[in-house]
Amino acid sequence: MPVKKEVCSTGIEELDMKMSGGIPLGSTVLITGCSGSGKTTLCMQYLFNGARKGERGVFFTITEPLFKLTKNLEGFAFYDKKLIESGMVNIIDLRIISERLGLDTEKYTVEDAGALLDILKDIADELDVKRLVMDSITALCYRLQTREMIRDFIFKLGTSLAVMKCTTMLTSEVPPQTFKFSQYEIEEFISDGILFLGDMDRKGDLIRTLQVIKMRGTDHSRTKFALNISAQRGIELIPLLKSTEFESFLKR
Amino acid sequence: MVDAVIEGIRERIAAAIQVNQSVGIQVPENRHGDLQEAIFDSMCRNTHTTWTYVTVSKTFDYLSKTFKEGTKQSNIKFIDCISRAAGISEGSPNCIYVESPVMLEKMILEILNNFKGMKRDLDKFIVIDSLSALMIYNDPEIIREFMSVVMNRSRSENIHVVSILVEEEMDSSKLIQLNDKIIVLRDSFID
Repeated sequence: MPVKKEVCSTGIEELDMKMSGGIPLGSTVLITGCSGSGKTTLCMQYLFNGARKGERGVFFTITEPLFKLTKNLEGFAFYDKKLIESGMVNIIDLRIISERLGLDTEKYTVEDAGALLDILKDIADELDVKRLVMDSITALCYRLQTREMIRDFIFKLGTSLAVMKCTTMLTSEVPPQTFKFSQYEIEEFISDGILFLGDMDRKGDLIRTLQVIKMRGTDHSRTKFALNISAQRGIELIPLLKSTEFESFLKR
Repeated sequence: MVDAVIEGIRERIAAAIQVNQSVGIQVPENRHGDLQEAIFDSMCRNTHTTWTYVTVSKTFDYLSKTFKEGTKQSNIKFIDCISRAAGISEGSPNCIYVESPVMLEKMILEILNNFKGMKRDLDKFIVIDSLSALMIYNDPEIIREFMSVVMNRSRSENIHVVSILVEEEMDSSKLIQLNDKIIVLRDSFID
């Protein structure tokens, strides 16, 4: 009899269905998309949904100040201030941690990267988090000087969190209207999964899309979905109408 | 005479929708208003049924001024796909606004969300007003696909669909064939 794999449900019903129930436990998943594609919202919803089930989560932000981030969240029904106050959802500004560690330089040395990795692991361990988000891995990679350092950093982070059965989402920033998964083209190879958030031009209007590109260890759909962000329901998915694909292809 | 005609249309639609999952109604432009009135009359009378009225041809604001009480009933929800595209930013709590008539997936989501959580045994209806207005903004192929998705999802959830087609606005023959039953209203029938 096949052994049923343990999964981490995102709490976004349609997305979980496309991944046979959720993300395999302990995976590192790249959430790729251009600006405004819904990466941060998806990650936040994932954390709050987890917290409601008793799974503690942490969100490391590098790109946005904390006050802005929480202010934007307040409009969503999935947001619950009590979950932040109770420590079930932790939002941490990584730049402040970096400064405290004396890492506030443009570029990290190997030792700096090691120190940052250690502190991230310690925080995850101390808080006993089961869900971790890094927003964004692109901004962090910018400070790592070589491709080897990027590979090493993501690999070590993912491995140590997997041991803790912590499922990780790393947001990856890419330019609009491109089918590219990361800035440095390394991140996608080390990650266990890729969720690609894109935009589709339809008669001048932009339709948000989501596609599961890879999800190791699961039988997942590769269909493209239209993604909607609603204040009441957060992220919603519905199969994209196919007739637009051709039109969009012609424009490219 | 007008009341009798509207009552006649209402009865025809009611009879057709009882035995068919989907009904397409083809109407001349000059009688589109009469058809709308008949549908509103039907929605208001059947308070034990629940309706989602998707408007692409007229703004919700216009409908609420024309049909007043009909737009305030709790068994009818409105999805306005045209106001925002027309640059009208005013809103009403009785209506969901879709930014653009090309955001067809969002329309489907809003339609389905409207029916979520409702009792399964309740009769549910969708009115799409109109396919011809959707065709102004979208290519025929994608509207066919949209209708096919709406039909299939509504079949699986036991929702009846009434779609309106204004005959002067488009080559209607292919699209309306997707419906189980087609009613063609003519000037001669109405007058």
